[in-house]
Amino acid sequence: MRESWVVGAASNRFGKMSETAREAATRVSLAAIRSAGLSPKDIGYTFVSNAFGIAEHQAHVGPLINGGLGIPDVPSATIESACSSSSAGLHEAFVQVAGGFIDAALVVGSEKLSHLDTLAATSYFAIAADYAFETKNGATFPGLYATIASAYRSAYPTTPEMFGAIAIKNHANGARNPHAHFQREITMETYLQSPIIASPFRLYDCCPFSDGAAAIVVAAKEFVPSPVSEPLVIRASARAGGITEMQDRPDLLALPATQTAGAKAFRQAHLAPQDIDFAEVHDCFTLAEALALEDLGFVPRGTGARAAMDGLTVRDGKLPINPSGGLKAKGHPVSATGVSQVVEVFEQFNGLAKGREVPHTETALTHNVGATGGSCSVHIFSRR
Amino acid sequence: MPSESPPAASHTISEWVKSYEDGGPLRGFRCPHCGFITATWGLACPRCGTVARDEHALSANGTVVAFTLLTVPGDEFLNDAPYVYAVVELEGGGRITGWMPTVRTADGVAIGERVRFRPSYKPGVQFVRESEVAPTVSGA
Repeated sequence: MRESWVVGAASNRFGKMSETAREAATRVSLAAIRSAGLSPKDIGYTFVSNAFGIAEHQAHVGPLINGGLGIPDVPSATIESACSSSSAGLHEAFVQVAGGFIDAALVVGSEKLSHLDTLAATSYFAIAADYAFETKNGATFPGLYATIASAYRSAYPTTPEMFGAIAIKNHANGARNPHAHFQREITMETYLQSPIIASPFRLYDCCPFSDGAAAIVVAAKEFVPSPVSEPLVIRASARAGGITEMQDRPDLLALPATQTAGAKAFRQAHLAPQDIDFAEVHDCFTLAEALALEDLGFVPRGTGARAAMDGLTVRDGKLPINPSGGLKAKGHPVSATGVSQVVEVFEQFNGLAKGREVPHTETALTHNVGATGGSCSVHIFSRR
Repeated sequence: MPSESPPAASHTISEWVKSYEDGGPLRGFRCPHCGFITATWGLACPRCGTVARDEHALSANGTVVAFTLLTVPGDEFLNDAPYVYAVVELEGGGRITGWMPTVRTADGVAIGERVRFRPSYKPGVQFVRESEVAPTVSGA
């Protein structure tokens, strides 16, 4: 297997885009390719994610992006894995590049939902659950995680302020990220006074519906002998699945897909959780960050919710989590999220994360979950 | 390569929906190998992977193991919020999710509370608190 690097990365500002997902994807793709010092003609394959393209009456967007980049002859594939779509795309790119099939791949995720109202967007998000056995019975995306949260609060001593501390931390980080949807800090008072969306979740427990696009370039080491930026060495690229339906899970308080993908990734990288300097984890809800910390082995079970309050996961803590602001504050344009986590690692490694730098940037982990845990990607990166 | 025999005939998702919409029973499956009971459609057991499932009638009675009060619903429940969405552990085995239109506050139900399936003209599997149920409910 060839050593493979992330050699270029770009993101637009998440929030509300005036242009289509296709236009935004093409724009960030060109920016990522240029940031790698490459040309579109160097790309051997494009992996595109645009899970809700149907909301823009558009499918099969890969050839349109490649056409817009002047490389219509380059193959593309659309990768859909709900919220983990573009990290699944990264995994496929890694397989192709590390396996020697191509020298460089473009991975891009883009989403636009802001032209829909809250009701329509809520319904779109819910279709990643099991329609017949969850959504049709009243579930929404926040509702599914909130249901897990009720069980978590019943099992472990948990206060609203613990979830609030996660939200406050991620908003503080997002306030320093020019790509973030929400670039303002919040207080505990703001958090506690925000309305209940799905008990026990308040508004500030939930990530926003965001538009956005992000892209990276994955290349074989030998293809870029003189990289123009500090590349991310892909030490591990792991995917796992898990039972989608909450009703069939043996344990409501864990996401087996995260546990499996995390364990696989640490084995691939020959590393352990204590070797990771910082991580971008899938915090679609505050509880989700807590579960991720536990399922990845960073903290014991039942203690993830208090990690932010205890200072462990703040930017200058022992294990900074979501220095980008996470899904919570940076935003969650579904198909762009996985790649945008890698963009944050790229910016941290290259000194581009001005104002939100973490203390140590030798090794980083990204964790991206599809819906409520039906699928998961974990990647580990290090410097050369 | 010899083809594997298809699993014994089992109900479809449409038949599962029609059954509860018609008043029950809640249809499910039981794994002949590990005994796992589920309402979820499939051709194999999601726990042990055995490619065989027996038809199994689920109980209409159960206990709430997790829940949320939803104030922002999806489009099919636009006029029903707030309502509770719950995971219910059924008597005799198996879990199922459903909604509780009669519970409109977060303290209106608790983990451990006994609930019962209630047939309804509205969509989805509905549960009500046992204390609300008349003794003649189908499947009870």
